[in-house]
Amino acid sequence: MLSLRSVTKRYGALTALDGVSLDIARGEFFGLLGPNGAGKSTLMALAAGLRSPDAGTLTLDGGVVTPADPRTRTSLGLVPQSIALYEELSADQNLRIFGALYGLRGAQLRRRIDEALAAVQLTDRRRDPVKTFSGGMQRRLNLVAALLHQPKLLLCDEPTVGVDPQSRNAIFDYLTALNRAGLTIIYSTHYMEEATRLCSRIGIIDHGRIPALGTLDELLTRLPFEEEISFPATPETAPLAALLGADGTLVSADGRHRFQPRADFRLSAFYTRAEALGLPPRLFTAARPTLEAVFLHLTGRNLRE
Amino acid sequence: MRVILTLVRKDIANFLRNRAAVGLTFFVPVALIYIFGWVFGLHQKDTGPTGIRLAVVNASTNPAAQKLVDALATETAFHVITTRELPDHTTRPLAEADLRPLIHDGKFRFAVVIPADVVRTDGIGLHLKILSDPRNEIETQMVNGLLQKAIFSHVPELLGQSLQARARGFLGEARSDQFNRSLARAITTAFGGDPATVQREIEAGGLGLGTLAQPAPAPSAAPPAPPAPAQAKGATPVQAPSAAADFLSRLVKIDQEQVVGKDVRSPLATQLVGGWAIMFLLFAVSASSAAFFDEKSSGLFQRLLAAPVTRAQLLWSRFVYGVGLGLVQLTTLFTAGRLMYGIDVFGHFGSLMVVCIFAAAACTSFGMFIAAIAPNAQAANGLATFFVMVMSATGGAWYPMSLMPEFMQQVGKLTVVYWSMEGFAQVLWAGRSFRELLPVLGVLAGITAGVMAIAVWRLNHKRMFE
Repeated sequence: MLSLRSVTKRYGALTALDGVSLDIARGEFFGLLGPNGAGKSTLMALAAGLRSPDAGTLTLDGGVVTPADPRTRTSLGLVPQSIALYEELSADQNLRIFGALYGLRGAQLRRRIDEALAAVQLTDRRRDPVKTFSGGMQRRLNLVAALLHQPKLLLCDEPTVGVDPQSRNAIFDYLTALNRAGLTIIYSTHYMEEATRLCSRIGIIDHGRIPALGTLDELLTRLPFEEEISFPATPETAPLAALLGADGTLVSADGRHRFQPRADFRLSAFYTRAEALGLPPRLFTAARPTLEAVFLHLTGRNLRE
Repeated sequence: MRVILTLVRKDIANFLRNRAAVGLTFFVPVALIYIFGWVFGLHQKDTGPTGIRLAVVNASTNPAAQKLVDALATETAFHVITTRELPDHTTRPLAEADLRPLIHDGKFRFAVVIPADVVRTDGIGLHLKILSDPRNEIETQMVNGLLQKAIFSHVPELLGQSLQARARGFLGEARSDQFNRSLARAITTAFGGDPATVQREIEAGGLGLGTLAQPAPAPSAAPPAPPAPAQAKGATPVQAPSAAADFLSRLVKIDQEQVVGKDVRSPLATQLVGGWAIMFLLFAVSASSAAFFDEKSSGLFQRLLAAPVTRAQLLWSRFVYGVGLGLVQLTTLFTAGRLMYGIDVFGHFGSLMVVCIFAAAACTSFGMFIAAIAPNAQAANGLATFFVMVMSATGGAWYPMSLMPEFMQQVGKLTVVYWSMEGFAQVLWAGRSFRELLPVLGVLAGITAGVMAIAVWRLNHKRMFE
C-alpha cells in the first residue's frame, strides 16, 4: 500500500532519514519503534505528504506522495504527536471543520461525527470547548479527527504521549478494532510495550535508518540469546554482576539487572556462579527478551536514551 | 525574605530569557521616543508644521503684495506654489481659475488669492481670498493662524497705501503731497531723521517711523528706535493685541471659500474615526496572523496539510479571513461614527466599502508580513505593536502630518495608514467617484501585492508550514 524507496531527508547538516526502503501492506498494523530523534516523525511527515524527500520516492497505492498533490492525501489520516485541535472550539465544531476539509457535508458529516464521538465516549461532551477536556479526552478526540473521512491508511505519530493508562487502553482498543476492520495503521512510538501489544510488524528505526524489520518473533531471532535473566541490583548481587561483564550484556534499570548472555554462553554456567556466591535461585527470573533488548543489540543504545 | 528574593530571581531570569518581552520593555519604547522625536521635529531647531502646500495667486501689481508672497514663501510651515506645470512641461503662473480643480484633485489644500484690487479704492481697507480643503480641522486652524499672522504683519503697509489712495481721491495730488511733507517734517522734528526719506515711506503706505529704526546718520542724533515687529516663524502665530486685531480684521476683508467637503457634517470625526479604525484594524490582523505560530506549534498545520489542503490555500484562507475581519471591523467603526458623530457613511456606502476592502487587504498583508519576519508569537506581537504605533503616528492617524518634518511626511506616505486614511477622506470628505479613487486603490493594491509577496517568500523560507 505504502512504499518507500531509498528515501532520504536532510535538515541542514542533519540526516533525518537515510536511504529508507519500506513496504507497508494493506491491513497491516505497522509499528515504527525508535527513540526520540530517530526519524519517526520525519518518516510520518513524508508519508503524510507534508514534506518532500531529498532523494527517493514514496508511493501510496501507486501514486507518488508529495506536498504539491493533495489528491493522494484523501486516502490517509494523520494523528499528529501534539493535540492538533482548536481548543476554544467545541469537539463538534472541530470535527465539522476537519470533516469539511475532506469534502464531507450535511447528513453524512453529521453521521460520521456522531459515530466518531460515540466511539471515543465523547458524545455527552460534544458541545464543550476542547480546552475543558482532560488530556485523555483531547487525545481521543485528536485520534477520531483523523478518521472522519474513513481513510485507508492511518498515520499515528506517538498518539498516546502524556495519556493516562485508562485513556491509553481505550485508544489501543479502538485502534485494534479499526485495524481488524481493515484499516492499515502505521504507529510510531518509543514505547516498546505499545509496539509489542499493537503491531503485527515492527520496524526499528535509529539515526534515520531501519536496521531491523519484521514481526516480534522475527526480531527476537536477531538476538543471540533466547532468554534473559533479571535479578535485583543489591549489594548482595553486586559480585555476580561484576563477574558477568565478559559473558554478555548487563542492563541495569529500575533497581534491577538484566543479563543478556552471549550466543555461546550457557545459562547453567550463570546459575553455577550464583550458587557459588551463595545467592538463592529465587532471586533470578528467566524471561523471553523484549524489543528493548533487540534495540539495544542492534543499535548499542537504550530506547530511552 | 530569602524565599521572596529567590522568587524575584526566578522572575528576572524568566524575563531575561524572553527576548520579546525585553525588547518591548526597553528597546521599543526607546525606539518610539526617538522616532516620535523625529515626528515632532525635536531633532531640529525649529518646531511646528512644515511643508504645507499653499498655492498663492498674486493678481496685484502692488509691490507690497509681492512682499506678502515673499513673506509666505519664507514661512517654513508653507511650501508655496505659484506656478502650474503644463502638459508640455512648461510652467505658467497660477490663476484663480486653476485653484478649485487643483484643490479638488488634492494637489494642495490651501490657496491665497491676492486680487488686483487688494488695496480697495472704493473705501479704506484690503481684500484677500483664501480657498481651502479643510479636511483636517486642526491643520486648517493652524494654517489660518499662520496666514493671518503673515497677512496682518504686512497689512499696515497695504493699509497705508489704501489710506493714501483714499486721501488723494479726496484732497487731490497737490494737497496730499503737501500733507505728507508736513507730516514728515513734524515726525523728523520730533524724532529726528531725513524728512525726504520719511515722506517717501509715508507715500508707500508706511507710518513714517520705520526709517527711524535704522542707524542714525549722525552720532546720538536720534532717540532709541522702537522695537521691530516680531518676525517669529514656526508653530505659534504671533498674536496681535486683541483690540488691534479687531481693528485690523475690520479693515482686512478675507473671503474664505471651502472648496471641498462643504456638505460634511463632522470633518473632525471623519478624520478621527478613519485613523483609529485603521490603527485597530492593524492590531486585529496582526494578532490574527500571530496565531500562525500557535497553529504551527500545536500541530494544526500538520493536520490541515495532511488533508487535501495546499499551503497556498492555507495562506490565502488567512488572507481572506483578515480582509473579512477588517471589512466587518471598519464597517462597524464607521457605523458607530455615523451614530455618534453623524458621519455620512450610507451616502457613500459603495465607495466606502471598496476602500475598506482595499485597506483591509493592505492591513492583512502587513499582518502576514509580521508573522513572516518574527521568530515567534511573542516577537510578532512586539513587532506589531512597534510598527502599528509608528505607522499610525507617521501616517497621520493621530495628528496632522504637517506637524512633522517634511522628511517624516515622506516616510508617512509609505505607510498603509496614510493611504487608507487618504481613501477614507476621499470618499467621506471629498465625495470622490470610484474612478477618482482608482489612484489610491492602486497604491493600496500595490502595497498589498508587494508586502504579500515578501511575506509569502519569508513564510516559505522559514518553513512555517512544515
